[in-house]
Amino acid sequence: MIRRKNTKMIVIFLTPALILYALVFLYPVIRTSVMSFFKVETVSQPVSEWSFYGVGNYIDLFRSNLFNVSMANILRLWLVGGVVVLAIALLFAVILTSGVRLKRFFRSVIYLPNVISAVAMGTMWLNYVYNIDYGLFNNVIKFFGGDPVMWTGPVTLFWSMAIAYGFGMVGYHMLIFISGIERIGIDYYEAAGIEGANVFQKFFYITLPLLKGVVRSNIVIWTVAIAGFFVWGQLFSPVNLSNDTVTPVNYMYELVFGASSSANTARNTGAGAAIGVMMAMLVVIVSIVTTLITRHDDVEL
Amino acid sequence: MKKSMRVLSMFIVLLMALTACNSGGTPAPAPTPAPTAGDASQAEASPAAEDSGIEPGAQLVYWTMWNEAEPQGQVIAEAAEAFEKATGVKMDVNFNGRDIRKTLEPALAAGEEIDLFDEDVDRVINNWGAYLLPLDDLVNASYDDTNGQPYRSVVSKTLMDLAEQLGGGSIQQIPYQPFIFTVMYNKDLFDNAGITSSPKTWDEFLDVCAKLKESGVDAITVDDAYMAALFGYTLDRIVGAEKCAEMVANLDFSDPGVLKACELWENMVNEGYLSTKAATNVWPAGQVDEFAKSTVAMYLNGTWLPNEIKEQTPGFNWGSFAWPAIESTGDGIEAHNYGGQSYGINKNTKYPNAAFAFVRWMTVGEYDQKLADESMGVPMANDATWPVQLAEAKEVFDNSSIRLAWAANMEDDPEVNTVIKDGLSKLVTGAYNAQQFADSLAALKK
Repeated sequence: MIRRKNTKMIVIFLTPALILYALVFLYPVIRTSVMSFFKVETVSQPVSEWSFYGVGNYIDLFRSNLFNVSMANILRLWLVGGVVVLAIALLFAVILTSGVRLKRFFRSVIYLPNVISAVAMGTMWLNYVYNIDYGLFNNVIKFFGGDPVMWTGPVTLFWSMAIAYGFGMVGYHMLIFISGIERIGIDYYEAAGIEGANVFQKFFYITLPLLKGVVRSNIVIWTVAIAGFFVWGQLFSPVNLSNDTVTPVNYMYELVFGASSSANTARNTGAGAAIGVMMAMLVVIVSIVTTLITRHDDVEL
Repeated sequence: MKKSMRVLSMFIVLLMALTACNSGGTPAPAPTPAPTAGDASQAEASPAAEDSGIEPGAQLVYWTMWNEAEPQGQVIAEAAEAFEKATGVKMDVNFNGRDIRKTLEPALAAGEEIDLFDEDVDRVINNWGAYLLPLDDLVNASYDDTNGQPYRSVVSKTLMDLAEQLGGGSIQQIPYQPFIFTVMYNKDLFDNAGITSSPKTWDEFLDVCAKLKESGVDAITVDDAYMAALFGYTLDRIVGAEKCAEMVANLDFSDPGVLKACELWENMVNEGYLSTKAATNVWPAGQVDEFAKSTVAMYLNGTWLPNEIKEQTPGFNWGSFAWPAIESTGDGIEAHNYGGQSYGINKNTKYPNAAFAFVRWMTVGEYDQKLADESMGVPMANDATWPVQLAEAKEVFDNSSIRLAWAANMEDDPEVNTVIKDGLSKLVTGAYNAQQFADSLAALKK
């Protein structure tokens, strides 16, 4: 009697969620994947007007100079940005869990940029910090007698965007590291301390090995964020695409919805869909690879 | 029993809530073709049909690209209210903002009841051409509010011709808020430098730049957003509009004119006429930090600029002149990009006469002038007055017989645009010379 009631309840409660999931998530994913194999001009074009193109969209994209530049941009962001941001986040996490005073205050301050809207942050970085005349960085440089730097010039614009983005993300990853470190039993450190281990040895022989799972999570989260990198690229080149700030999703946005300044750019939703599929595949691949690497390191904490 | 009844009723309530959300988006039933045919014969039967042509019980759903807070949005809101009072046509105005570029097409495709919409004149025909009602009959008819003249004759000829050309020989949209993309300059700085007339050739332009530099200001600047236009206009004056379009369509920049254009700008950089900030200006830095602050005298932009930087430029003395001619093989000072926003009437509308009556309401008479005044924009009606800031722009407009595409086609392909932006800013920083810039363009392949 009781078991039957439970099944009914399970079905009743799950159905709305499943319907919503299928409608809002599964259907668009399947439709987009299918779209990527057709020549489609606009998002709302009826299916009867689609023409089959095989892997043509993918080939065209890899032949496109701008797409390759955008992939190179996210590769640099992922690799260089990832290493720097995760290293700094780990450093902060280790410091904050080592018993300093005002731990909560520092944690809040470092996490604060993550709370503020990306648009507000990006605008502040671009218009205030990086301004060539009265910006924060150039004022500091001038104070120490240096020459003002062209933060938003060609080539440097990319690194400026990366710095601004990384600055905000350090706090987020730091929190994940902190939660990982706090799960490590304090006995290990005490035992090591008795044996005469110093801070660095404790870090490399206890903390780091036991954080493998957390490091994997952080890498996947970072990859997801970089694959979907859009807002900052849009903010640092507000009107049209630029070699320094274009990312695949920025390019996809322009392909699907057209350029915001010129009304003559051709819209190519099929290619946009192909980019979306590729970004999803990227995240899946990184996720699988990192899982395989850390699979046999399950440690009972 | 009781428990499962409660759970079941909660589930039913949830389902009802979900369907309620859905019903908001239920598409309107597709109207039969009969009304359109009927209205066309109505228009033909009474070519002098004044307001009696407005369908009784008409209601208009109008999707506009303006935000309610913008001056244009405010005037439209006022005009719609006044129109409703004057004609009894119920107005439902939807202030989409620029999001309309993404939301209009799906709405039209789903059959949503939209009678009238507006956007850039190129976009209306390129993106939504399939939904437009041909307006030739309505446009050639005479009305009370056009003083018994055919509508077409009382509004800007340049723009109506453009609409006809874009519609492939048929007028499918009514332009309004026209603009022209030309050199906007600071008259006070010009007077200061002792410049008495605007340059017509590149040599005269260089003289003007030299005088400005002597007087202590930068001659010209550019934002990253408009680099393609600056380069495109230069290229157009060297090889002509058709060649520019071909170059971008075929991604073939091997023409020696490209190197010439790069050399001209390298020269501008070396002489110090182009502001060094051109390398770092992220829009709107160039127009707000440099031009509005009067540290730069010239800026190649659209006639919307006085309105756009209205807050930063009180008492600014505005002037405009045509982009100078360079070579005889290129276009001269009669070639510019001009256009405007425009009204499109949905071909499935039940009330085409009411919709066109509203278009007349906005483009002729009181509200046309009001729109021009409040937004420092250009009016459509021939007897309306242009804002004083655009007085010189009117001359350029009236003398523009060749219409360039936006940025002389240089923004048609983002591959071209990004290479130009890169190249021009690297010219300014010295990372590129003219040959390297030209090579980066020649490297583009289909």
